[in-house]
Amino acid sequence: MATNAVRAQVGAKWQESFARLNRGEPGITGLMAFSEAWTLVTEFLRPRDITDPTPPKQYNMQQVRAAFDIINKCRRLPVMLEVFLDDMRKCQHLITREVEAHMTLYETTPDPDTIRKLVFRLVEWYNAWLPIRERVTPVLGPTIISAYTLAFQTHLFSVLPPTFAGGIKSLVAASLVHVASQPAGPPDMTLWAAFETLSLIDRYETLIASVGYEFIESYVLETCAGKWTEPMLATLRTWMVDRVVPWMILPYARGATNADEAKSMMQGVGSRFDFHLHKTLCDLRSREIFDIIVDFPESVGALQDLKECLQRVDQRAELVQALRRANKKRLLHPGADTKDILTQYVSTIKCLRIVDPPGVLLFKVADPIRRYLRDRPDTIRCIVASLVGDGESGDSLVDESEPILPLQQPEMENYSDPEWTPEPIDAGPDFRANKSSDVISTIVSIYDSKDLFVKELQVLLAQRLLVVKDGNFDRERRNIEILKIRFGEPALQVCEVMLRDMTDSRRIDQHVQSQNATIMHPTIISRHFWPALESSDIIMPGQFQALQERYAKEFSVFKPDKVLRWLPHLGRVHLELELDDRKIDADVPPLEAAFIELFSDKDVWTVDDLISRVGSVSRSAALKALATWVDMHVLKEDDENVFRLLSVAEEPGTRHVPKPAEELPSIVSVQQQQAEQMRVYWKFIEGMLTNLGQLGLDRIQTMLKFAPGYDQTIEQLGNFMEAARREGLVTVKDGMWKLGR
Amino acid sequence: MKVHVKHWSAVAQWRWNTGNSEEDDEGDVCGICRVPFEGCCPSCKMPGDDCPLIWGECSHVFHMHCLLKWIGTAASKQQCPMDRRTWVTAERKVNSNDRS
Repeated sequence: MATNAVRAQVGAKWQESFARLNRGEPGITGLMAFSEAWTLVTEFLRPRDITDPTPPKQYNMQQVRAAFDIINKCRRLPVMLEVFLDDMRKCQHLITREVEAHMTLYETTPDPDTIRKLVFRLVEWYNAWLPIRERVTPVLGPTIISAYTLAFQTHLFSVLPPTFAGGIKSLVAASLVHVASQPAGPPDMTLWAAFETLSLIDRYETLIASVGYEFIESYVLETCAGKWTEPMLATLRTWMVDRVVPWMILPYARGATNADEAKSMMQGVGSRFDFHLHKTLCDLRSREIFDIIVDFPESVGALQDLKECLQRVDQRAELVQALRRANKKRLLHPGADTKDILTQYVSTIKCLRIVDPPGVLLFKVADPIRRYLRDRPDTIRCIVASLVGDGESGDSLVDESEPILPLQQPEMENYSDPEWTPEPIDAGPDFRANKSSDVISTIVSIYDSKDLFVKELQVLLAQRLLVVKDGNFDRERRNIEILKIRFGEPALQVCEVMLRDMTDSRRIDQHVQSQNATIMHPTIISRHFWPALESSDIIMPGQFQALQERYAKEFSVFKPDKVLRWLPHLGRVHLELELDDRKIDADVPPLEAAFIELFSDKDVWTVDDLISRVGSVSRSAALKALATWVDMHVLKEDDENVFRLLSVAEEPGTRHVPKPAEELPSIVSVQQQQAEQMRVYWKFIEGMLTNLGQLGLDRIQTMLKFAPGYDQTIEQLGNFMEAARREGLVTVKDGMWKLGR
Repeated sequence: MKVHVKHWSAVAQWRWNTGNSEEDDEGDVCGICRVPFEGCCPSCKMPGDDCPLIWGECSHVFHMHCLLKWIGTAASKQQCPMDRRTWVTAERKVNSNDRS
């Protein structure tokens, strides 16, 4: 069906091809030469099986080069390349076999050396098949090589199993360990050259980097975990230079001719590794931060490291998170002592000041601790105890060397200060920079007002003053002077009066003793200036009452316009009991003294009779007082609630009553006082709720404000109402309170 | 059995002897500054002998400093602020006060 036109076209094509292949040679000699050259070259290029023991055929390179020339002249090289690649594809099963053999071995015994052998073997294959072993075709050389390499690698990577990546990783790791363990030895370049040939470096770049990262990580963990006394960063950096950098040169600075070149090639990866070093250390220290703080000040080294790391690595938020978590888990729970929480808080303040001088981290970490401490009932007591240096507990929160400063109020920013700097970038909106304030100011600022401290201080001081027996108040005076500097003089006026009461009492006592010597040495206190002392209506019997009366009379002679009102339940009495067969020396509270005085009239008493003789005293207090004597084998409980004086010592009975611990004078705590105050207002609240049904807390507060002397905050009212709810007096629903049934 | 008391460190509060009944536990306040007698007047810091009371013939009692300040003002006309009778200090009490 071919038309003439088609025929002519085909004819022309054929002519053209012939002319190209024949290159104008006479007859078909050109064509023949080309045919020979083609056969030679394809034979020369054909991929051979290198496992085949027959020696490779030797070629006359002159001829081969000439043949390439002819093909090139005929512009048949691309076609030849196609044919070559096609041949290669047919032989690919050889490589597949090789890979499979090695990988099966590796999978049964994971030894990186197997991988190493495989890599070198693959390089052998690659080189054996490389089409241009000698420079035969300068023209198309690069194209052919890249086409070949691409084809070879494409196939290679398609047959490599996933385990190969793991193999490479362990091989690289092994090389790193090898280099790091003997950095002075000559570097083993062959492996990396082989990787390069197979372009494994590019393919597994992240893998290789991860080997480096993991190596750094494990080293940091091994050397730095739990070692906080010394800064470690400098040592780590030296280690990097000595151990890791020589290895890094192999993959990352291959082909560098001199040190400078190598340096610039490694800059990027070097800083990545350096960053990783810092990050690892930073992570480690963040995890350990709680214990580092516990160990402070032994752990200053670790804190300095952390500071440096944080400047390089932005892990501040993580550090805060870690510490907050640790605090929540290990510190802010009911099992922790308030004192321990405070100590840890103070250490946290000091530690984070080292890490972050502007105090942003501290502010973020401190917030939950402060909130928690605010809810603890005994926090103030603990703080005050440490403020006055409660000697028994040993270490106080306050550093003795720290200068005593007045409490600082948060200052306004001084924008005209040339040294002014803006707040750090991660500071929250309510961040207050309290650069200069000392630890005590920070702790005291947990509470909004320092009045609470002063009140608690008063209670504590009262307890201490009333147990001091030798009249030596130097320590208390010194503490008060120190606290005056902190809290200001007016706040401590009350304490000043208390101290003066003590000295006045001694003076009065000296005078009274000079007029009419007595064994009674009372402390005369100014009420209104002492915390509410639990009132008691004990009536001291017998000689005690006589003593009281005599002293009070003598006092009124000395100070005619004043009278004494005894607080008989306070103080201590030193007694000597003269029994039939023995004498007993005892130092006891007044109630005990009162009871034993009663026993001097009559040998057997029931508890109820005893109580009625000394006025109102709680039964438990009475039993406790009696137990003291039972314990000293002065009394014996024959029947229940009937006590008998042991005029003659008896064998100690089997019943043993544990001796009650010596107690501090019972002074009503601030909380009890508050509760007492609120009780007055309960009547008002009850009336309100009866008349108006249900009310919200703020409504109750507003109405209570009309009541005389009402000075409670709405929080205090809330606490009170909550307490009332627990007692079942009121119920609350959706913030509305109403009377319970 | 005999009980010998060797040493008794007791605790007591002092009160002004204002002549009121002993049972009045809450104590009276100064009619001028409304601070309890056992406290101190607004210009004092130490209670007791440093801020004594003054007894009037009219039976009213004040912090001495409060009353003197009042008497010092022209508006007082030297009268007791409670009953507007001319203030006369009860002799015995003041003398005994000075002695202490």
